[in-house]
Amino acid sequence: MKTSRPALFVMTTILLTLVIAQPARLSAESGAQWTVQVSKVDPGAVGLTPSFQVAIYENLLQELSKTKRFKGVLRDGDRKAANATDLMVLKTVVEKYAAGSETQRAVTTVTGATKLTAHTQLSTPDGKIILESTVHGNVRFIGSNLRATYNLARNIAKTIKKSSLPEPTSSFVFDF
Amino acid sequence: MTHTAVPWYCKSSDRLLKRHSLTAFLILVMACGTGAFAEDVSQPNNPPSSLPATHLLGFAGARNNSNGTLSIEGDALQFKKNGKAAAVQVRIASIHDLVLGDLSRQVGGVSVTLAKVAVPYSGGRAVSLFTHKKYDTLTLEYVDAEGGLHGAIFELKKGQAEGLRNELLAKGAQVSNAGNEPTKQTAEASSENK
Repeated sequence: MKTSRPALFVMTTILLTLVIAQPARLSAESGAQWTVQVSKVDPGAVGLTPSFQVAIYENLLQELSKTKRFKGVLRDGDRKAANATDLMVLKTVVEKYAAGSETQRAVTTVTGATKLTAHTQLSTPDGKIILESTVHGNVRFIGSNLRATYNLARNIAKTIKKSSLPEPTSSFVFDF
Repeated sequence: MTHTAVPWYCKSSDRLLKRHSLTAFLILVMACGTGAFAEDVSQPNNPPSSLPATHLLGFAGARNNSNGTLSIEGDALQFKKNGKAAAVQVRIASIHDLVLGDLSRQVGGVSVTLAKVAVPYSGGRAVSLFTHKKYDTLTLEYVDAEGGLHGAIFELKKGQAEGLRNELLAKGAQVSNAGNEPTKQTAEASSENK
């Protein structure tokens, strides 16, 4: 089988273009140019226990890192945030909290659920809101009460991962 | 003429000896009981320097849900995982909030869960009533060298967290709520807050 020289040249060019363009496209899709700073969770007026407040905060930091959506995940008060370009601030306010019981869940199956509802807001340091949503985290059957905080944090991270964040102003993306 | 028959092997001196030994035994039992009770009462005030604890989450460098020993070493709070040489620690002065709480967890692990499933006619649910144990929790907030806020939760045996909290306060840890009264929060409640 004989292949013409111009066709071979075109195919090689297309292949090379695809190979070079792929990493740039992936980097643009992941949107890993932003740095996010997670603020301390606001317990609101629902009587949230401090252990839940701390658990939501720590789980949020872990789950946001897992999304690989951000180039950095910073803690509340971290001094690195002052030098970070393209910073976003994640604020979480707990709106509803129903303290369940693991024993009750194990005995009755249908009662004793631990329910959490939180309002999250992703904004720039100057106050421009980029993303806002209400997220739930519940434990209905199996697991300790603190598992609700993990579920809430995971759902917040999922919401952020699904959403389309704007391109940061100071970053450059090379498109071929 | 009536008299009680005394066996040949049981002389009057023997009976006296038996009565005395019974009295001595009772005194010994009471003394032991009192000692144990006194020990239980004094336990929260005089905590040992290291306590068995479960790290639930948040302590930098330690794995979540790992068992180990929580201790105060000089000016640091240290957690050492069982069977591992490396320990992780934070300076007590960097702790700016300490809160006590309690939680109830199922004991027995997978074996108890499987046993509950195996009980016919949903009898495993009744077993659940007896397989839950209450623990104390110690929630602490501290800042790292960069000023970043960390939160950590430890699970300790019932009655041990308060002693540790007092010891940490004495060594320079701070609490954010007013006063030095220990705050006890429960992770299980019946009412729904909206």
